[in-house]
Amino acid sequence: MESLKGAFDDVGSGLRMRRIWMALAQEDIGDQHRRTRLGPLWLLISYLAFAGTFIFVFQRGDSGAQNYPAYVATGLLVWLYIMETINQSITLFAREESFIKGTTLPLTVYVMRLAMQSVIRAAYALAGCIAILALSGVAFSAGWMWSLAGIVLLLVVTPAVIIVIAFLGAYFPDSQFVVSNLMRIGMFLTPVFWSYEGSGGLRHFLYYWNPFTYFLEIVRAPILTGDMAAYPFLFCLASGCLIWAIALFTLGRCRRQLVFVL
Amino acid sequence: MVFIRAENLSLTYTLRERPTLARRAPHLVGPGGRIEERAGRRLVRALEDVSFELKSGDRLGLVGTNGAGKTTLLKVLYGILAPTGGKVVTDGRIDALFNINLGFRREATGRRNIELRGLINGWSPEEIEARMEEIIAFSELGDFIDVPFKSYSQGMAARLAFSIATSMKPEILLMDEWIGAGDPGFQERARRRMSELAERAGIIVLASHNETLLSRVCTSRLELEGGRVKAFSQRDPEFYIGQS
Repeated sequence: MESLKGAFDDVGSGLRMRRIWMALAQEDIGDQHRRTRLGPLWLLISYLAFAGTFIFVFQRGDSGAQNYPAYVATGLLVWLYIMETINQSITLFAREESFIKGTTLPLTVYVMRLAMQSVIRAAYALAGCIAILALSGVAFSAGWMWSLAGIVLLLVVTPAVIIVIAFLGAYFPDSQFVVSNLMRIGMFLTPVFWSYEGSGGLRHFLYYWNPFTYFLEIVRAPILTGDMAAYPFLFCLASGCLIWAIALFTLGRCRRQLVFVL
Repeated sequence: MVFIRAENLSLTYTLRERPTLARRAPHLVGPGGRIEERAGRRLVRALEDVSFELKSGDRLGLVGTNGAGKTTLLKVLYGILAPTGGKVVTDGRIDALFNINLGFRREATGRRNIELRGLINGWSPEEIEARMEEIIAFSELGDFIDVPFKSYSQGMAARLAFSIATSMKPEILLMDEWIGAGDPGFQERARRRMSELAERAGIIVLASHNETLLSRVCTSRLELEGGRVKAFSQRDPEFYIGQS
């Protein structure tokens, strides 16, 4: 109970220190593009290049989706956000070692710094995604609000995922190679650019048993169909609660020991 | 009423040895304290049964060989490390001068670095704004303050770090060695500034190997050995007044 209270205190004070993590995240993104002429616009260009390649290469193939450009644009937006966040999370505490050993800032500050970085990157990609949606002729409907709710849910779950994976990476450094490999192949095992249209076999298995599918669908399905993706939404809500419970438990139990592990 | 009370402070942690296929270093050296084997685990006793009490006006010098537990004790007092036994009770804002170069961003300007360092130190935007001009003036960086940090010479960077770190008004000040920076002219001003800072602070805990400095600044002295208190002595306050 004591450790859980510590976890809540850490999260609470970390969230209150939003000025720090917002400023540091902005600097991080700025630093990555400091010497370039286009600056963070490269994030938008990278996304468009990625999405464009998939659309042109796979559109005429056995894609199965009715509006393939919109399908890829929204799927890729969410997937890149998830992949970037998880890949960065695994080495988070190792990167922040000098801060963790030299200041009394709550760990949530580092978690939110990374979450904020991911959100800024995704915001540039979102601009590209909206452009593709506009060009693809997908009809705007009130159902898009469900997509917005899906994005909000994704954002709320993000800090919890970062906490769990960051502790995993700190306690088991080998896991960073496992995770980076999983995320690399995850793009092909997740319906980012292929769809499941009633076909069976391996695709059926990957579609239904891959948790990432549902996080993609809560954002993508309402845009494509205009309706709420009820089952994926409930799945993400339940798994989000579970991930937060694990994150708070881990934070409470391990945050004081972290400094000795790094 | 500013005070620090350390009651039977202990800090023990397990030295983690991960199973690995990679070649292991033949000898593992712990960061400080004493290493004990218990039930197949290697435990580091970094601090053991450390007690003392400091009130406003006290200046404590921490002495001991490398690895005696001085830095560990400072980090426990600051709150970076949680004691595994005993407790620390404090009243008053604690500031620490441990690593004053931490967190400087090469690509950001000196001014932006002041803002960022201020935020990390827990200053409000108003406090940052209020201290900005004084920090810039003390660092003597002039127009360079709006130039990226990476273009600073080592001395300029050190002057900026020192100016930011010492612009606070601590009630309790923890220091791991006395700090100074820059060329001879700046060093003299830095010395004066450190003395002023020390005078303003309610309590100082200073870890150092410099006996001359300790006798000039401190009113009491705690000697650590292997994480335990070897000796604690308090100097006659009149002697201290005579020295200052």
